Amino acid sequence: MVIKHKNIFTTESAWSDADKVLLCLDTGGWRTERPVLDQSKCNYCGLCALYCPPQCMLDKGDHYEANLAYCKGCGICAHECPRGALTMVPEGEFADEG
Amino acid sequence: MVETTKKRNRIFNYFSTEEKFAGGVAWCAGCPLELTARFTAKVMGDKMIFVGTPGCAAPVLHGQNIGAWHKVAYLASVMTGVPSKATGLSRYFNRIGLDATVVCFTGDGCATDVGFQPLSGAAERREKIIYLAYDNEGYMNTGNQRSSATPLGAATTTTPVGKLSRGKPTVSKNMPMVMLMHRPRYMATATLSHLEDFAKKLQKAKEMVKEGFVYLHVFSPCPVGWRIDSSLSIEVCRNAVRTNYFPLWEAEDGKPRITVEVPAPRPVTEFTKLMRKFSHLKEDGLANLQKEVDYRFSLLKSLCDAAKEEKKAKAESK
Amino acid sequence: MKAKKGTIRVITGNAVGAYGAMLCRPEVIAAYPITPQSEIAEQLAQFRADGVLDAEFVEVEGENSAMNVVLAASVAGARVFTATSSYGLVFMYDALQEASGFRTPVVMVNANRETPGIHAVSAGQQDMISARDTGWVQIIVENDQEILDQIIMAYRLAEDYDIQLPVMVNYDGYYLSYLAEAVEIPQIEDVDAFLAPLKKQPPRPRLVPGVAKGCGTHGIEMGYVEARYKHWQALERVKNKADEIDKAFGDYFGRYYGGQIEEYRTGDADIVVVASGSATGTARTVIDAKREQGIKVGLIKMRLFRPFPAEKLIEALKGKKAVGVIDRSVCFGWKYGPICTELMALSPKLETVPILSYIDGLANLDINVPHIGRVVDEVYAAARGKPYQEVTWIPMEEER
Repeated sequence: MVIKHKNIFTTESAWSDADKVLLCLDTGGWRTERPVLDQSKCNYCGLCALYCPPQCMLDKGDHYEANLAYCKGCGICAHECPRGALTMVPEGEFADEG
Repeated sequence: MVETTKKRNRIFNYFSTEEKFAGGVAWCAGCPLELTARFTAKVMGDKMIFVGTPGCAAPVLHGQNIGAWHKVAYLASVMTGVPSKATGLSRYFNRIGLDATVVCFTGDGCATDVGFQPLSGAAERREKIIYLAYDNEGYMNTGNQRSSATPLGAATTTTPVGKLSRGKPTVSKNMPMVMLMHRPRYMATATLSHLEDFAKKLQKAKEMVKEGFVYLHVFSPCPVGWRIDSSLSIEVCRNAVRTNYFPLWEAEDGKPRITVEVPAPRPVTEFTKLMRKFSHLKEDGLANLQKEVDYRFSLLKSLCDAAKEEKKAKAESK
Repeated sequence: MKAKKGTIRVITGNAVGAYGAMLCRPEVIAAYPITPQSEIAEQLAQFRADGVLDAEFVEVEGENSAMNVVLAASVAGARVFTATSSYGLVFMYDALQEASGFRTPVVMVNANRETPGIHAVSAGQQDMISARDTGWVQIIVENDQEILDQIIMAYRLAEDYDIQLPVMVNYDGYYLSYLAEAVEIPQIEDVDAFLAPLKKQPPRPRLVPGVAKGCGTHGIEMGYVEARYKHWQALERVKNKADEIDKAFGDYFGRYYGGQIEEYRTGDADIVVVASGSATGTARTVIDAKREQGIKVGLIKMRLFRPFPAEKLIEALKGKKAVGVIDRSVCFGWKYGPICTELMALSPKLETVPILSYIDGLANLDINVPHIGRVVDEVYAAARGKPYQEVTWIPMEEER
């Protein structure tokens, strides 16, 4: 047998090593709509950030903004906001932003 | 801008440690399980070890070849071996004096069905492990088949709605009650709408596991399988609590107490109307479900009252 | 350097299993009672209660849990031990796969007993056979002394850095488990010395809280293939390693077992009988008697079953004119017994010789002197060109 395969594991059995390879998906590419904030309504209560499943809300000191690299567009933040400060807007409206 | 509180919401203090998971992981949009996993890792801290198993959690908890989606040490297991593996780990770490919090992280399918025997065994032996079961009321990762945690009347792919059947014909195992009967050192029910309650229970779990077995039952609805709009996941959790469908309680050494009182519980239809898995139920079906919810709550309440009475009697006898 | 003399005790095979484990200082033990092995768990619990064994002992609620407990403790770095038999062995079937696939050096004794296809509480090797594709090292022993010695050798083999595989030590239930023989129990310091070379080797991977490594990651495509390939290679390395360890054991303790196989009077033999387990003891008596009668017969004792000692068998059977293989189990789907079927796979390298399969000793019915005598006679006839039966179920041919 002539082995051409280059070993994937440094161990004898299947161990992962997150310090070597930390995987990450482009979940931002999943969404069809994104949360848009009306800052005039926001009182920094933080519920959007607490309830966000991917925990991708960025703390801007007096309001929160979704990290668009990971926001899946689920809409929980907009639904849970007690002041209706967040609205889910279709991605198509931001097509020219790239 | 309206006047801001300017201070960060204090609930963040419970979850203030470094995020262990990668930013983008493959849980469905709106999945409460993602919140459960991220928060559990944050509260349990650096010395946590996951024991995970096939189900909705495994594709993220377990790696792919040499890569992993998070920086927590873990041991993968088939569903029949989770709490036993956790036992092996915790016994050995204890023996060599290595600080470790071993957390079993499984779905309801493992906890109530195929992995129940070892869970019951580990609880009876008071192994120093935390067993967290995220309850999405079915085998969701394989496409929504029924488990024994699936409620009465629910539509799943193996209890479908057709001419001869109208969803699951049997009530679900009342798993929190079953585990209560094992008298673990600490157990609690929790859900994602009541984050402070959840956080406190996670913290308590981390402390109490040093003394014995800990069981956490987290209600974690599945937007895809239950047919809920992804934005409503948290509201579904909240309504589950407000209708007494999923009461929030905890118990130390088998003595339960309710942690979130619901003075005026709403009818269960406030919960079922948010999803399509019950939409085939007519008045009689919904009435049966309401009866089941009421019966379970009355059982819980009487146990809580008995525990309260005992506590009072003990205090008075001193 | 030689070990000091051990203490002679007259004890059962089960008790010996417990002594063997105790001498190797396991750190985590889990066991569930099952006939004919229950005494091991009892003896270990007694050792612990008497302060002789300092180990975590988990009284699990089933064998599946027993294997899971010890394999996980092994992943964390512990030396572990468990014991089972038949129904228990098949109950832990999924955990057996993980134990070998995760490359954990678990050492387990298995008191051979029939598997539940027909409910029976009796000796047979069906349990070992039903687990042969689990990726474990499997060794079969002949008497109580060998149980003890093989357990010690098993740790030296399993934990070797080049191996890292779980080892199953099989011994006949009833025939050995309940048989009390005089056994020399080594001094524990000598066992420590024999296992000490393991400490000089590089450490195997272990699960550590706070270190971002995970055991049991998904094997995707070539990741899976590579892990399987490495496992397969390790099993191949077991063969030479088993011989090396046998020699080292013999040099130190004074008892040699032959490594992968033991050859008894095969050198000038024309025909050979292949057997395993306690029946080998009876076979030696028959071989000697037949030799007195002028039949040049030899005996090969199968010790290593997994990996299959192919090279050693080919070497030992070179020039032999016929072979008889006694199996204490059934190979479902093949005419011949399991060990016989595997030996027949070597046929191209053996030069065509008659290989006769004998199935005997099921359900605690003895493989006795007349039976083995018959095997020798028929193999001898086959070697001289007489027609022969390819497979014989000896008990089925007896009138009762």
